[in-house]
Amino acid sequence: MRAVRLCALVVGLMAPWALHDAAPWAASGVSFRVVVNPSNPSSAVERRFLAEAFLKKTTRWPDGSTIRPVDLNGESSVRQRFSEDVVGRSVVAVKNYWQQIVFSGRDLPPPELDTDDDVVRYVAKHDGAIGYVSGAANVERVKIVTVR
Amino acid sequence: MALRTRAGSATKRRGLGRALGLAVAATLGATGAMARAAELGGGDGDVSLDVHGFVSQGAILSTGNNYLAKSKRGSLEFTEVGVNFTSQLTDRLRVGLQLFTHALGPVGNYEARADWFYLDYRWRDWFGIRAGRVKLPFGLYNETSDIDAARVAILLPQSVYPVSNRDFLLAQTGVEIYGYVDLRAAGALEYRLYGGTIYIDVSTNPAIKAVDVPYVAGGRAMWETPVPGLRLGGSVQALRLSFQFVPTMASSPASAGLSAVLGVGSAEFVRSNLTLAAEFAQWRVGIDAADLAVFPPGTKRITVSERGYVSATYHAARWLWPGAYYSVLFPDEADATFSGASNNMMHDFAGTLRFDINAYWLVKLEGHFMHGTAGLDSTLNDNRPVDVLTRNWAVFLAKTTAYF
Repeated sequence: MRAVRLCALVVGLMAPWALHDAAPWAASGVSFRVVVNPSNPSSAVERRFLAEAFLKKTTRWPDGSTIRPVDLNGESSVRQRFSEDVVGRSVVAVKNYWQQIVFSGRDLPPPELDTDDDVVRYVAKHDGAIGYVSGAANVERVKIVTVR
Repeated sequence: MALRTRAGSATKRRGLGRALGLAVAATLGATGAMARAAELGGGDGDVSLDVHGFVSQGAILSTGNNYLAKSKRGSLEFTEVGVNFTSQLTDRLRVGLQLFTHALGPVGNYEARADWFYLDYRWRDWFGIRAGRVKLPFGLYNETSDIDAARVAILLPQSVYPVSNRDFLLAQTGVEIYGYVDLRAAGALEYRLYGGTIYIDVSTNPAIKAVDVPYVAGGRAMWETPVPGLRLGGSVQALRLSFQFVPTMASSPASAGLSAVLGVGSAEFVRSNLTLAAEFAQWRVGIDAADLAVFPPGTKRITVSERGYVSATYHAARWLWPGAYYSVLFPDEADATFSGASNNMMHDFAGTLRFDINAYWLVKLEGHFMHGTAGLDSTLNDNRPVDVLTRNWAVFLAKTTAYF
């Protein structure tokens, strides 16, 4: 009976928030593009696949090769937008997730780079790499994929 | 750049614990201005070594009863220091080691130990295997219960994650298989199954002469539901423990065994800046002994306890995370009532403020109002029976952590 009461309380607490997705400092107006290594045959990725790849829950492309996600640093407004739109969590929440993973010895977070150019260079250099950059970035050396 | 570490057996000496603390402090100092965790090597063709660490220092003050430490007079015996090294040797193979030392009242005593170490081979997303000393996946947060930076609260709800049971609950030495299965429209399933043994240090308890854990086995399944941010799951752990001890008023040791089955159901909802969690646990512990003088007929041999909590945290600003939870413990579910005897319940109403000073340093303040005495240790309270201790009491904690 206590368990039932507990569950009812949880559902009651969660219900209003399931419909509410406020992020007080969300990077509104900032756009991003998702880029992959030019050798990658994909032209589009599903949003959920992208989220799982950046949380390293999914580590393989459909052809079996290793996914190498790369993040912009935590202060980047592009990362904030990507994190909210794709991962569904704030950057701090994602960092908190990685604290849990790293200190329990389960995995390592994607590398964090400072600029769009750094991300483009990394993605161009590594097969299987995937990153995101601002709408203004020079993406000649990489391939843009659509997010479904 | 090469880095070599000697990870020998976890020597149980204070000196080593202090040396570890100093080493981590030095590392933290050296990396204070760094923008991210140290990565040694990492050039093409190199095997990179990721280094992460933390230093936590807390203070605890209570009214009415001593809790976890000699807290009524105020205690600073609340320290955690850890440093870990992880290397991705190939796409599928990773190795890691964490050295850890801590003190919380009588627990830990600044003894350094290998908190975890493993080889991890992830063959596919749906199947991987780890061998070594691996943290136990029990509930939502057991694996990170000693990582202050990974949560808002200073103390996790003690009904489900009691620090006094850390040796039993934190890690096992053996094998674990794990995987992440995409269920498409139904979400995803993360599973963990493990089996091994647990090393328990009884050197600080003169009444216990020897402890052997023939096995610990269990698993956890977490379903990431189609509702974004909502995951539901369950964990089970079975444990067998044999021990020799000296009964009160006796001179010769007696033997006994303990079998425990712990189960917990978990729910967590993460959406943007909000995290809600709830867990309900039941622990069934049975004691058997051949010595009828120790456990005469009529002694209750199986005890079922019930535990649970609900919690909420909200990332209100870049630097501020308020959080709160209500936690309840009934050590014997047969007598569980909300207005029963003090020693068979503990209701814990907690509120926390976490301040992130910067990306590597945080400060927390926390207050608890307690009703009941079930979670108290009589040895910390002048050996007075738990049922005569103060029924309504409070605990205040402060803690600061630096991490990278």
